[in-house]
Amino acid sequence: MSRLLDLARQPLLVALALIVVLLIVGELLSPGFASPTQIMRLLIVAALLGIVAAGQNLVILGGREGIDLSVGGVVSLSAIIAGNLMNGQDAGIPLAILGCIATGALFGLANGLGVTLLRIPPLVMTLGMLGVLQGLLVVIRQGIPSGRAAPGLSQFVTQPFLFGLPGIIWLWVAIGLLLAFLLSRTVYGYRVYAIGSNEQAARMAGVPVAAMRVSLFVLSGVFAAIAGICLLGYSGSSFANVGEQYMLPSIIAVVFGGTSLAGGKGGYTGTMAGAMMLTVLQGILTTVNIDESGRQMIFGATLLLLMLFYGRGRAMRA
Amino acid sequence: MVDAVAKPPREPGSVKRFIERYPFLPALAIMLLLLALNGIWQPRSVSLVGITGLVKTYMALMLLAVAQTYVVYAGDIDLSAGAIVSLVNVVIVAAMAAMGDSGFSVIAAMAIGLGVGLACGLVNGVVVATFRLQAIVATFATSIFFTGLALWIMPVAGTPAPATFWRAYGGRILEIPFVFWAAAVLALILYLLARTRLALQLLAVGDDAQGAYQSGLPVTAIRMRGYALCGLFAALAAFCVTGDTASGDPLVGGKMTLFSVAAVVLGGSALAGGYGTVVGSVFGALIIGLINSLVYFVGTPSEWQNLVQGLAILVALMAGILVGRRARS
Amino acid sequence: MAKLKISGARKAYGATMALSRGDLELQAGEVHVLIGSNGSGKSTLCKIVAGSVKPDSGDVVLDGKAVTVEGPRAAKALGIGIFYQELSLAARRTVEENICLPDLSMNGPFVDRTALSERAGRYIALFEGVAGEGFAADARVDALRADQRQLVEIMKALATEAPVLIFDEPTSALDRAQVDRFFEILRRLKTEGRAMVFISHRMDEIFAIGDRVTVLRDGRTVGSSRIADTSPQEVVRMMVGEEPSLAAAAPQASVANEAKRPLALSVSALAGPGFTDVAFDVRQGEILGLGGLHGQGQSAVLRALFGAAPVTAGSVTLDGAAYRPANPRAAIRAGLAYVSGDRGRDGVIHGRTILENVTPIHFLRNGLKLASPSALRAKATPAVDALKTKFAGFSHPIGSLSGGNQQKIVIARWLIDRPGVLLLDDPTKGIDLSAKADLFALVRKLAAEGMAIVLYSSEDAELLANSDRILVFNGGRIRRSLQGAERTRFNLYEAAYEAA
Repeated sequence: MSRLLDLARQPLLVALALIVVLLIVGELLSPGFASPTQIMRLLIVAALLGIVAAGQNLVILGGREGIDLSVGGVVSLSAIIAGNLMNGQDAGIPLAILGCIATGALFGLANGLGVTLLRIPPLVMTLGMLGVLQGLLVVIRQGIPSGRAAPGLSQFVTQPFLFGLPGIIWLWVAIGLLLAFLLSRTVYGYRVYAIGSNEQAARMAGVPVAAMRVSLFVLSGVFAAIAGICLLGYSGSSFANVGEQYMLPSIIAVVFGGTSLAGGKGGYTGTMAGAMMLTVLQGILTTVNIDESGRQMIFGATLLLLMLFYGRGRAMRA
Repeated sequence: MVDAVAKPPREPGSVKRFIERYPFLPALAIMLLLLALNGIWQPRSVSLVGITGLVKTYMALMLLAVAQTYVVYAGDIDLSAGAIVSLVNVVIVAAMAAMGDSGFSVIAAMAIGLGVGLACGLVNGVVVATFRLQAIVATFATSIFFTGLALWIMPVAGTPAPATFWRAYGGRILEIPFVFWAAAVLALILYLLARTRLALQLLAVGDDAQGAYQSGLPVTAIRMRGYALCGLFAALAAFCVTGDTASGDPLVGGKMTLFSVAAVVLGGSALAGGYGTVVGSVFGALIIGLINSLVYFVGTPSEWQNLVQGLAILVALMAGILVGRRARS
Repeated sequence: MAKLKISGARKAYGATMALSRGDLELQAGEVHVLIGSNGSGKSTLCKIVAGSVKPDSGDVVLDGKAVTVEGPRAAKALGIGIFYQELSLAARRTVEENICLPDLSMNGPFVDRTALSERAGRYIALFEGVAGEGFAADARVDALRADQRQLVEIMKALATEAPVLIFDEPTSALDRAQVDRFFEILRRLKTEGRAMVFISHRMDEIFAIGDRVTVLRDGRTVGSSRIADTSPQEVVRMMVGEEPSLAAAAPQASVANEAKRPLALSVSALAGPGFTDVAFDVRQGEILGLGGLHGQGQSAVLRALFGAAPVTAGSVTLDGAAYRPANPRAAIRAGLAYVSGDRGRDGVIHGRTILENVTPIHFLRNGLKLASPSALRAKATPAVDALKTKFAGFSHPIGSLSGGNQQKIVIARWLIDRPGVLLLDDPTKGIDLSAKADLFALVRKLAAEGMAIVLYSSEDAELLANSDRILVFNGGRIRRSLQGAERTRFNLYEAAYEAA
């Protein structure tokens, strides 16, 4: 019994179990929901959120109230830059990838420097940066067309590529493996957890705390940029503020994956499950025949209910 | 050589001590500077009509920033504040539509609106303080729920508010614009609230929750009351939104949440809790308004306005934090 | 009838037993001293009485009635007030607000500022003349010195006017005059019939103010006696139990070839916040002790050398080369190691595994990029074994270990790649006796193998037993250097208390 309880406290297992339950519920409510095609579609959507959440995850793991509210803006910006750089031509894809990653890294760098050099709280810094990004989007949108995805990119995101799964899912899996390796088998990963758990102790043990933190924000920008490119491939062309829908869900996916918002505890595997869980939940709500208001209410209430499984704060009286 | 050990704590300079006591002073200075700049580029903007327009447009954000401040006092945050505004907006518009255009219906609708705001605040208080969920994610979830409720009450924007309501909001009493009366009442309420036990307790909880608990303060109840107060002020903000836009819109407040957080930071309050003033947040909201109008007055091409506004707010946020820290250190 | 009686109080945090059997019987009109080494469970016992820690079991009887203290609010209602060792102050509120915060004076719906000031003023007046410069009713607590903050916490506890008052180390930062004033107040409260618990590590204070003493050791109450019927030696014997004396293995000061050994660290005219004009040499294989009263600059010097605190003047030579302390990273690369006594703040990476806690220095010293757990385990095992660390496995969380073993892991991280100079900043604070013995056995072995060691300890016995030479600090300066036979408790005290 207590072993069972221990299992129930493993966020990854909880998330996976909930995904299965949600899939069954979806199938019961709307036969065909859990069909292979549908699941693949859900996986593609989950991969987009999951890639954004990868960067968010790293920033949160690094602690000191780490959070990146600007990811949504970077996703939108990246989508529009990619659309223009490739402009429907496969030949433009490499340049688009380079351009977008550089852009994402640049904004991440700005966030990171603000947080470390000027010691602006991450919430404030990235909130301000979000405002800048939104303004920048308006400017770009006036100057240039929205741009089109190259056929190769669309194919990569939506069409089967290997073993019947599209390239984006393989990309997501690769990112998952990469981060699992990074966090558990490299010095960098050990240091991420160290600064997230006890920044002062990490500094006393020779960890370059500021450089680490900047690098986490840069990675967050880069992952958001990659997600932006993929999003362009998914929708064909970019449209205004397409990335905004990822800002807070990326944080929720991280929390549902068992990463503590206090930092230093958690990992990306759980976040992947968290992203999948959020996507399946939203998938069910769009499938069943209720109107938008009901959907949102159920979504909000379910999120709250699920949160009770995770990271409840410490009681004052221990 | 000076013996470093026996040195008493550094006597803070008078300016520093002043800022320490009145954390909103940097915000006030930035606000006055922006007001002056507005006046230079567009003299009419500092006329009675200009100021009235500014206050009328930004009264809602001022109130929402105040709402946000009470939870920030205790080290919490409310990302559902804007959704509460939306919900109260559609509730009162729907209520007034149902009850007809009369003074009674306006007052009854506002009473209902305050009740809804309070209820939303209590829901947030329960999930954050009682259930101990992380404030950022939990209030995001409640914001989705509140938005859903707003959409259920009014699926599409556009139901007009009765003329009695918006005429009063845009009108004058004894030749003085209504919004100034509202601002005066707000100032009085804020002054009185600042003298209550709750204000002091919220700040003590935000300063050191464990210490406050160990001192025998009912920390959970105090945080809950902070959220309740936030809900009430969000409802007041919704009244202003309704007066300004004269219609119901289930998504009208969504964009305001993050601006309310920005206004709190601009006003000199610490997001970590324990330090700040509501007056500062009011100034913070006006700073955002003045930046927006200044960007317009200096003739920024329309497509560049958002970017310049965003940059200016980012710079103001950073400057505010740096100045505040320097003053305190 | 006892005013307050606690029996069989027990509290465990995971694997760590904070209190295994706490008993205490408190009479009205007495000052009851609670004593025990760090980590013996005194604070836990106090917090259980004050409601801020929930006991696993145990009974509390107040005025003959069994009560359950549900929380600090309930304790307040029952008439129990407490001074918290770690303080419970709101740093950005004023002195008077803090004093009255638990029970604000109200005027209708509003805080009655006049009544509040008046009430707080009564308690502030108790310490008039000794509170020091800058202490004022409207001063913010974060602008006060450590001793002044402690006074605010005392005033806050007194302001509860509770019949039962608990003072958990209220005098640790106070000066003589402040302590005297505090004792005057306690004596007056005694005549009012209040029941008071008093915790202190200063034996003279205990015998000056106490009526009864209860001793805790390793989480248990081991005895209780009237102060008049006991002696300091007897109390220490009860605190220490049957453990072997630390001083048993005194170092064999190897004076013979001392001068021939090369210099490892040479410091001249070093100054920074908290210390001035500090100069000393440490040779390879030497253990240099830093002594004196707590907080006289010893810790500040060590932190400054390690690059964790600023240096404003002076020069340092490390292994014959000029060294500028810039940050811990540079210090580690230069071959320095630093172990802080505040392991919770400076040492332990909380919530992570033992392996993650033992490896960070190894990464930096070797410029590693990859972390292979099996290879790291193999590297770390000898270091951890050298300290006789008891642990179940490298993949277990650090929090599963006792305080002493946690500190051993933190120390072991420096031993995978041997540093040239080891700086120990009160490394045994709050760890048990056997862990201390293991630690000092290792320190002496390291010195014998040629490592230079600078040791600051707040426990004079440790310092005397383990140092080849002792520099006594007072007021941020080195006042005396004690070598060979001069290393006596008497000389140490004399130099430490000498007027600066």
